[in-house]
Amino acid sequence: MDLEGFEAATVPHMNALYDAAVRLAGDHATAQDLTQETYLRALRSFDTFRPGSNSRAWLLRIQYNLFCTQYRRGRRMPVMWLDEGEADPSLDLPSHEPGPEEQIVRELDREAVRRAIARLPEDFRMAVTLVDIHGLSCAEAATVMGVPRGTILSRLHRARRRLEAILMPELGRVQADDL
Amino acid sequence: MTCEDFQLRLTAYSLGELDQDMLQAARDHVAGCDDCASRALLDRQLTALLRASAVPAPAETRAAVLTAVRAEARATTAAPARGRARRRHWVALAAALLAAAAVVAAALLVVPAPDPGSPLAAAWSSYHARGKDGLGTPSPKEAERLFAVLGPDSRPPDLAGYGLRQDGWEGRDLAGHVAAVAEYRDHEGGRLTLMRWRGELPAVARAPAGSGLKAYRWGRHTSYWWRADGVVWCMVGTIDQDQLYEIAEHLGGESSGAELG
Repeated sequence: MDLEGFEAATVPHMNALYDAAVRLAGDHATAQDLTQETYLRALRSFDTFRPGSNSRAWLLRIQYNLFCTQYRRGRRMPVMWLDEGEADPSLDLPSHEPGPEEQIVRELDREAVRRAIARLPEDFRMAVTLVDIHGLSCAEAATVMGVPRGTILSRLHRARRRLEAILMPELGRVQADDL
Repeated sequence: MTCEDFQLRLTAYSLGELDQDMLQAARDHVAGCDDCASRALLDRQLTALLRASAVPAPAETRAAVLTAVRAEARATTAAPARGRARRRHWVALAAALLAAAAVVAAALLVVPAPDPGSPLAAAWSSYHARGKDGLGTPSPKEAERLFAVLGPDSRPPDLAGYGLRQDGWEGRDLAGHVAAVAEYRDHEGGRLTLMRWRGELPAVARAPAGSGLKAYRWGRHTSYWWRADGVVWCMVGTIDQDQLYEIAEHLGGESSGAELG
């Protein structure tokens, strides 16, 4: 058992695994369970991992399969789909005006974005999580989710247009150095 | 490339997923179209916003994952070593088998406690200590103290719908945690113990297939665990094990629902 090799290949991706787990499961406790179980499964099958391949994509695939087979049942996530132009008062986006505490404002930005993503259907949410947030290529995301690459691109395109509409007030505040 | 063509490919363009010919066509179009250039900028801003929303793993999660991984690695490296030893000589094989049998027997009779000071071990001791006698009921002061710590979860749920009658409940100390413990009996004398305290789930517990519940094997018994609103629920007993799972799933679902809101 090459524990050292396993940790070197996988521990740097724990933030990504936990973030994806939160977006799938919807709460911290389940996300922690899902992350832990993913690592244990990955450890058991580490001899099948090809050194040099994308370990983040490999871990995310294990996690997504685990979620689909064992965690999805009974899960309660807000998967409401906003129709075009429909206002959702619960979104309560922060105002345009810059506040005195820039850090707090930025955290509110992040929270608004998280809530907007949480309202996407699961397939769209996962595609955004894998590609937009954690930098997988569409081909890698397609392998993780077991769908063609074109399906990932299509989901991303539709998800991004929805997010763009919801987050329009936030977009104008993104600083040039964020790009 | 027209504006419509570009906007259909906007996501692929922003993500660098266009093939070389299409990418060049898109670049040429953006260079001469202010509207599409603005759309492309907006899309890059959206990516920056999405990327900044990533949630880092809390320190407790990192610690729990690493602890579980290292424990699993230790367990799997120990097993082959025993295997090699057994192959050396049949006497060694017999001794190893006897030793293994003793370990199994001990596991059935004794607490397989991962950590003697943990709530897991304390819960098992607590379950084992009250094998036959039912519990009483807490004094009003004790009930008030349990309510203050655990809220409505301090009161034992009604399981009459599962053919279980309540056999008393009380407050106990489980490795320093104030716990509410309730006992139930079925019509054949089978026993179910339900314990709740405020804390963390034991890292050794695993989720069984098809459920968010966690399971930990206690000798012949399987205990089920879940956590809601900071309260750990632990259920174990000698009633029918399928029924035990069904009850745990029902109560776990109810309390998970409360947590997720």
